Amino acid sequence: MDTIEPTLKAVAPAARPVCDAVTLEIIRGAISAAQREMEALIERTAISAFIREKKDFYTALFDADGVMAVGSMVPIFGDVTTPVLSRFPVETMQPGDVYWYNDCYGSQGAVSHSNDQVLLAPAFEGGRLCAFVMSWAHFADIGGLHPGSISPDTTEIFQEGIIVPPTRLVTAGVVNEAALAIFHRNSRFPEQSIGDMSALMASVELGAARITEIFSRFGHDIVADALAQLLARTRRLVRQKLAETFSYGTHRFTDAIDGDGHGHGPLKIRFALTREKGDDGEDRFIFDATETDDQTPGPVNLLMNPGVPGMALGLYYLGGDPAQVCNAGGPKALDEVRLREGSLVQPRFPAPLGMRGLTMMRVLSALNGLVNVAGGGAPASHSAYVIALLRGRYTDAEGASQRFLLADGIGVGYGARAFADGLDAVYFVAQENFPLEFLELGYPVRLRTYGVKTDSGGPGRYRGGCGIVREYEILADEAMLASRIDGITNPPWGFGGGMSGGVGRVVVNPGTPQERELAPLSDGNIVRAGDVVRVETGGGGGHGHPFDRPPEAVLEDVLGGFVSLDAAARHYGVAIVDRRIDATATLALRTKRTPVRTFHRQEYADALS
Amino acid sequence: MPSPDTDLAVAVDIGGTFTDVALLDRRSGRIWRAKTPSIPSDPSEAFLNGIRLALADAGHEAPMLERVLHGTTIATNMILEDKGARTALVTTRGFRHVLAIGRQDIPRKANLYTWIKPRRPVSPSHIVEIDERIYAGGEIGLALDEASVHAAADAIAEMDIEAVAICLMHAFANPAHEQRTAAILHERLPGVAVTISTDVLSEVREYERSLTVALNASVMPGVTTYIGKLEQRLANEAVAAPLLLMQSNGGVAGAATIRRAPALTALSGPAAGVVGARAVAEAAGIRDLITVDIGGTSADICLIKDGKIGLTQTGHVGEWPLPLPMVDMVTIGAGGGSIAAVKDATLSVGPRSAGARPGPAAYGHGGTLATVTDAHVVLGHLPARLLGGRMALDRDAARAVIEKNVAVPLGIDVEAAARGILAIIDNTMVGALRVVSVERGHDPRQFTLVPFGGAGPLHGCALAELLGIRRVMIPTAPGVLCAEGLLAADLKSEFSRTLPKAGPIDVAAAEAVFAELDARAEDWFAEEAVPEADRQTRHVALLHYRGQGGELAVLWTGTVAETERNFVDAHRALYGFNLAAPIELVTLRVEATGVGKGLPRSDLAVAPVAEPTEMVPLHLADGLKDIPLFDRATLGAGAVVVGPAIIAQLDTTTLILPGWTGAMHASGALLLTREDAA
Repeated sequence: MDTIEPTLKAVAPAARPVCDAVTLEIIRGAISAAQREMEALIERTAISAFIREKKDFYTALFDADGVMAVGSMVPIFGDVTTPVLSRFPVETMQPGDVYWYNDCYGSQGAVSHSNDQVLLAPAFEGGRLCAFVMSWAHFADIGGLHPGSISPDTTEIFQEGIIVPPTRLVTAGVVNEAALAIFHRNSRFPEQSIGDMSALMASVELGAARITEIFSRFGHDIVADALAQLLARTRRLVRQKLAETFSYGTHRFTDAIDGDGHGHGPLKIRFALTREKGDDGEDRFIFDATETDDQTPGPVNLLMNPGVPGMALGLYYLGGDPAQVCNAGGPKALDEVRLREGSLVQPRFPAPLGMRGLTMMRVLSALNGLVNVAGGGAPASHSAYVIALLRGRYTDAEGASQRFLLADGIGVGYGARAFADGLDAVYFVAQENFPLEFLELGYPVRLRTYGVKTDSGGPGRYRGGCGIVREYEILADEAMLASRIDGITNPPWGFGGGMSGGVGRVVVNPGTPQERELAPLSDGNIVRAGDVVRVETGGGGGHGHPFDRPPEAVLEDVLGGFVSLDAAARHYGVAIVDRRIDATATLALRTKRTPVRTFHRQEYADALS
Repeated sequence: MPSPDTDLAVAVDIGGTFTDVALLDRRSGRIWRAKTPSIPSDPSEAFLNGIRLALADAGHEAPMLERVLHGTTIATNMILEDKGARTALVTTRGFRHVLAIGRQDIPRKANLYTWIKPRRPVSPSHIVEIDERIYAGGEIGLALDEASVHAAADAIAEMDIEAVAICLMHAFANPAHEQRTAAILHERLPGVAVTISTDVLSEVREYERSLTVALNASVMPGVTTYIGKLEQRLANEAVAAPLLLMQSNGGVAGAATIRRAPALTALSGPAAGVVGARAVAEAAGIRDLITVDIGGTSADICLIKDGKIGLTQTGHVGEWPLPLPMVDMVTIGAGGGSIAAVKDATLSVGPRSAGARPGPAAYGHGGTLATVTDAHVVLGHLPARLLGGRMALDRDAARAVIEKNVAVPLGIDVEAAARGILAIIDNTMVGALRVVSVERGHDPRQFTLVPFGGAGPLHGCALAELLGIRRVMIPTAPGVLCAEGLLAADLKSEFSRTLPKAGPIDVAAAEAVFAELDARAEDWFAEEAVPEADRQTRHVALLHYRGQGGELAVLWTGTVAETERNFVDAHRALYGFNLAAPIELVTLRVEATGVGKGLPRSDLAVAPVAEPTEMVPLHLADGLKDIPLFDRATLGAGAVVVGPAIIAQLDTTTLILPGWTGAMHASGALLLTREDAA
């Protein structure tokens, strides 16, 4: 349709095919609207609880070369299009095509565990390929060793479900039904697989149509230039901020995960960032993860796409500025990313990857640490979000035995910032919980409690976020429980005087003679009807000296159940009596100010190792 | 006493600056309008002042009124400005942190490094647990321990609390414990407002229900006091007519309903505008329309198909999801006061607004930031004086702020900067217009755009062009459409029940639930004194494919096959595909309507010749041009105005772009059409 408004023409004369500032904003708005539309479609039509309640899905737009121009606000995406483009030359692509993969090793870690399905569709306008759209979602079960496909038990990626190499799923509108049939046949819950795939396919088709409209409205040259500007803008901003944070030389930070669930650990993640002057006089930023420990037999290996460190740093530097876009400008801000094959963050095929989420979260923490040792202002460390997988059988109202899979993501505490407390009880960006009332209607469990875990937030001027307590009563006849909790021996560090966050655990039948604590990263734990499973998750590190926290904020935390009376006195130096601050006693406590050092993990230290 | 010679209804809409009143005599079809300054410290005073003014103008007495209608923003403002009552929440033991946790997410569009969880309407220190448990499906797992309720009352009594919300797990399947808890707390806490979740929102998901009842409780004392004042003032004037308030769902309800669930009025004002737009469009024979209500700070956008206003239960008020039935509209931070700024060579417009004070620089109240209104002034879209000549515009100030804040930083001239500001704000609005149309399977080109609010008619043509819309309708009084909406509104309420467990449609079971909901609707009709002949009910089924999170509402036909076919058709139309998965029934709803009398027709006198009052300079894309300015009051039915032109009236200004032609419709509406699209 011919809808270029008259006001626009004067700003962007047709003779000058360069996108001006106004049109750029308009195009950006139109792309966001398309993205919103794709997400709404997935959310409303997907079948699995994983997608529709937990909302584990993302969308993005790429330019004609496959470079991410507008992404989601998550720092976990690398180069998603190259795996497809390297197998299917753009000349062979047609309108109505859709491409698909979940192949981690075949995509250099663009997908980092096989449950995530990536769908890409090229958008054409006037016979020309102009962009790609992506929808990405976690599928609840794609076969493999145990229901849910990911499990702490696996030792090879082949045990983590069916692997789909980059595939042309739809050719000019004609669906490869055989490929879908094979895929769905491998799922223990094919109904969910079919429904979720339908939703994803509809969303990329919708996205491609919308992007085509944008190109026809503004013209190829203008939109292509707009996308290039969005990339350049983000890259410029990130490089400028990197230069503000990092002085010339090499900055190092080490963080750690507790282990791989197979007896190996702790495993160290060692990052270095070097800023140097290049031959051309321009700064060079080199990210180096080669000192990281070796890969490990258990499934905590993270096949980290080289784009990830830049994407995460980019997202940090963009902050909450709504004028900025999270895109490949982040990765492109780094001149070089050095990874070592055979390391924990660059494992060799076919090492298992299913539980890489906890390593990913520790990678984000290590990046915060890198910024902080260089004098930046990143948050203190967070806990890795927790997953409890419960699979088994129950007897339904009609007396039939039914299979079930509950993959319950449980929030944790995030690190305190230099300007605010850490987030309490949050899982991750865009991922929601299973409400109690939803859970109990659909699964053979009943919740006994769901609340924040007192004292799990690291004390500080700004308190680290608190983790969660979620206690289930098992109603299934029998079920197998997997737990994924990290950060117990290496809790999330505090910064600038703030203390480390609390740690998580899983206990069966707490407070009874049958009480037993489970290994935090383990599978195969059998529970039966009547058992109680209590999951506690860790918190975030604190920021600043706890004695500098206003006593009123400590009181509010105590009355709200976030901090205990004892911790208020011991860590914060605040005495509370009868729901009120005892000013005299508080003054007395606070005169005995604890000396602090830069980092805190169980104890204060100048550097972590 | 009501007189047999008149049938008087008065509608009062209280805005931030002015209170607008419309008095209608249905016998004669005459409308009298009055405008009086709002009194924020006591809105009920302006309410009465306005009614008195209109009555005096009409020469009628207050006791003759038969209906008093009111749209109020009192609940909205309390929620948005976090000024609700000090509220406590009572919940099931083990779950005091449901509100604090929320849905456990960082919002999709937020940055995880900088996002801060919004403060909840109830502090965690004011949440008290009691011993009871209802299981999924409504079975009582642990009987209510009344001693624990008394202990909760003791704790709340210590907290200096004005309102208590009660939300117990699975109460939507069995409200007995909530009801008993409320009874005990009522007795134990005299003077404290008590509200239970199942009286406000009887649906699954504890966080959203807790939030809804907490918001309801927090606005309850304020709304109750306010309604009490209105009733007292009306009683003092010997008005016997019932007081009816606009709800978010676009229908009015009596004071008793609103006292019980004041959160139902959270979108009262915008809903009234949409109902008004539908009524004036109907009078011009238009049934497919998209409304855009542009004020100083925000724009509300809504789609009306076949004369029906869509409702949603996934709406938001401020940062909060509020899953109560509300007019399905999209609100964005784009209005006449939206601020334009350049940062990192990037021009952005809104959502920050200069508000009423200082407002745009052109208003002369000391505004120093460039706003959308200033851009209009620079381009000559507004006459030199507004409000019928009472308010002069400062063109130099408008130029200066746009030059300094936009033109210089971008290195372009002032007119190009002004056009850029408008292009961006229009595009932002187009994004929202697409949300209500394209995203929901409607082609906007088949709709008439109805812009209203003070700033709407300035943007009508530009928005229509961007969407390929060929017809724009400017109502008679676009700035005061809410009062019209109140006069046109029906009485409305919904009664719904979520089934304990979603499953295949069981006709007998569904009919039994409908019978119960119908009975509740009948009780409500009686309470609202709706005459038998005006009572209408509609049976709706909310269905999904097994496993889906969202339901689609379709008409219940009484048979499985037809209801399922309605669902399959709706799913394909909306999402483009169907599944072989089983279809499940989730919720049943009865929509009850006390049909109102609509608006009487008021035909405009025929006067086909339009004479401009003056020629004014307008900056068009191809240069400066003198164009005619018309006074709307001089345009009779049949008058035609060819763009470019400006039409001024008391409450708004209409900009007719080149290529558009305006024609006055007999109903009083101004219809703009695109020449090349005839």
